[in-house]
Amino acid sequence: MTMFSKLNKFFSSIKLAIFLFISIAVFSMVGTFINQGDTESQYRTIFGPQAYHVLYWLGFLNIYDSWYFIGLAVLLIINLVTASVNIFPRTLKAVFGPYPSFNEMMDKKGPKAAYEIIESKKNTEEIKKVLNSKFGKPFIELKEELYYSKNSIFRFSPFIAHFSIIIIIIGVFLNFHYGFRSYTNIKVGEKTNISYLTKNQKPIKLPFTIRLDKYETKYYPDGIPKSYISKISIIKNHVSVATKNIEVNHPFTYDGITIYQASYGHYKPTAAKLLIVNLKNRKSKKVVYAEFGKTYNSGIDNIKFKFIPYKHPKKDEIPFFIELSNKQILKFNVLPYKKQSMPLIFAEYHNTVFLYNGVKNYYYSGVEITKNAYVSVIWVGSIILIIALFFSFFFNHVETWVKLSISKDGKKTHMEILAIPKKKFESFYKNFNKKIAEIKKDLT
Amino acid sequence: MISANVSVLDGSLYFTISLLFVLASFVGYFIFLFTGNKTISKVSFGLLIVGFIIQTAAFVIRWIYAYKIGIDTPPLVDLYDSMVFFAYVLIFGFILIRIFYDFDALGFIITLVASLALAFASFSPIAPSTVEPTIPALQSYWLIYHIMTLFVSYGAFGASFGLGILYLIKIKSDDKHKNSAGNGGNNKKHGGFLSLLPPANIIEESIYKVVVFGLVFLTAGIVIGAAWADSAWGGYWSWDPKETWSLITWLTYILFVHARFTKGWGGKKMAWIAVIGFAVVIFCYLGVDLIIPGLHSYATPGSTPIL
Ligand code: HEM
Repeated sequence: MTMFSKLNKFFSSIKLAIFLFISIAVFSMVGTFINQGDTESQYRTIFGPQAYHVLYWLGFLNIYDSWYFIGLAVLLIINLVTASVNIFPRTLKAVFGPYPSFNEMMDKKGPKAAYEIIESKKNTEEIKKVLNSKFGKPFIELKEELYYSKNSIFRFSPFIAHFSIIIIIIGVFLNFHYGFRSYTNIKVGEKTNISYLTKNQKPIKLPFTIRLDKYETKYYPDGIPKSYISKISIIKNHVSVATKNIEVNHPFTYDGITIYQASYGHYKPTAAKLLIVNLKNRKSKKVVYAEFGKTYNSGIDNIKFKFIPYKHPKKDEIPFFIELSNKQILKFNVLPYKKQSMPLIFAEYHNTVFLYNGVKNYYYSGVEITKNAYVSVIWVGSIILIIALFFSFFFNHVETWVKLSISKDGKKTHMEILAIPKKKFESFYKNFNKKIAEIKKDLT
Repeated sequence: MISANVSVLDGSLYFTISLLFVLASFVGYFIFLFTGNKTISKVSFGLLIVGFIIQTAAFVIRWIYAYKIGIDTPPLVDLYDSMVFFAYVLIFGFILIRIFYDFDALGFIITLVASLALAFASFSPIAPSTVEPTIPALQSYWLIYHIMTLFVSYGAFGASFGLGILYLIKIKSDDKHKNSAGNGGNNKKHGGFLSLLPPANIIEESIYKVVVFGLVFLTAGIVIGAAWADSAWGGYWSWDPKETWSLITWLTYILFVHARFTKGWGGKKMAWIAVIGFAVVIFCYLGVDLIIPGLHSYATPGSTPIL
């Protein structure tokens, strides 16, 4: 054997394919038991420094990007391509011919073949008619030989299935190479063009700036979140070019980059929301986000005030108060409010009322920003794969040869029927025997 | 303490009632194994069909109920719903097989697996039957199609597991008979339920057909899952343990498909792969959530998505 044919045999063997299936499965399994993509310090605390080094060296901490995992995928492609190239000529011949003759097949028929001999007194024309009614339209019709082939075109389905796997793997590599996955938090009202890669937390610069205009969580009546909604604007050259609400399951794609709602949260509150109402003129309302200790203008009679916490609040007492610029102190009172569960908390000064309206939360929205380059290649490959799998599995190519010979006295026709299925199904033999019985019935 | 997950309102009571029918059907099929009494198998099949109809009604009630309490996507995502759906698909598959083939001997394994799934759903404290509102990530039609296709495939793999076991039993006794009958052929009849089994070749073919049917759906289910991930999770594939195990399951069955082309891999090894493959399916379905907890980022309070 030459070097080339040895290599060819190795790389096209199904044994290698089975080895690859098992190896990929086993390495994938490892990755599900060892958390992937944690930081070094996390690993050190989980496994200890020594085990960490071993695992790191083995590549088990980022196994799906490891050289050998990628190597297995490349080997799978090579395996697929060589195997396909090797059986392609045979398949072309099976579909388009030249088809082997009855005698050739008789010599090399394997254990899959079904073989029957029938004798009939009818003439050749009639016999052929009956045979055609059972086996379909013959591909080749000679005087003494017939060749039928059913579902031959589906011999291409495994090729297409294999080809689609190559398309998918290429799509995955392209996506890996040209795309990225990153993550960033944006405060409500603020903007950023920096995002952090998911795999190593390195910052990258986006081709545009994202501003978070608004964030909102909607709830079901029983308090389970129903949707997380961020209103974002895309800003390019200081101009807002797009505005869109994003929700989980409803991302927004701009310029090939997709922005997903991933999480949300709020920073520690720093200010109280105070609603200032003029009792004489109810329309005059003002909202002040008051931080502790700073002076604000109430907007009513030019009254200035500070919002101050008690150093040692008593039990059941509101833990903050208002100090006016004339040093007068206003305590907060509590008034149970009938419908709402939250009572009114307010402080009064002449005709000015300070309503405490909770703390100000600085919401931020965690967004995932990804460039899903070439995913469409993966989708196309996947759809081809599913269709090709279906046709590979459920269509069995069956070839049938019939050889006719007339007995010496010229009274009888001798039929030898040989049928070979691609897949050795019991139902094929059952079906074959049924057809033979029918032919016998029709011709004798 | 075991407390039943039953309620008239959300339809779960009817699943529990259907469990009684499926269980009765199992008992019938079990007796049938030893007696070979055709009447018993027919009664069992009847009971199973009644159970199936009750389940169908239960799904309708449950889905309407979910819709009424303001949940737009059909409740399929939590452990309870996926369990009952699995049992449903498995029974449906068996009914189809039973209509087209004379395959009563398969009944006892199918009804056993379906009963176990229904019993687990009905009585396990980790699979509450309450219809919970779905968290945002799970409000997706991709997800519903994803689960449905996957459970069709799981049902098929469950059936191939049963067939694999029957095949192994059959082959073993065939070998024994061949040996004891010496060279004189094996005309000696099998005793008991083995005589009711179809010939080994037919079981072998049905294992292949059921597995590849499941494999087409598994492939579609994984692709749909990737499409869902692409619209919800920031990428079509994240090597999440669940995803990874679905790939392992897929590779197991792809291996099954190719093992046939290697020399020396007869029906026996194929049957073993079908049996082992189902163990991988079970691990992917339940084991990942139970054994690798915390890693599965989809798990959120209120619902345990099982994908
Ligand atoms: C990784 C994904 C793969 C998929 C989805 C796949 C799919 C398929 C399918 C559907 C069939 C037809 C099986 C049947 O009719 O029962 C098949 C056959 C086959 N596969 Fe694969 N395959 C894969 C990988 C491989 C690899 C790596 C090799 C390399 C040797 C390979 C070699 C073959 C061969 C030689 C056949 C027989 C084809 C024939 O006789 O026409 N496959 N494959």
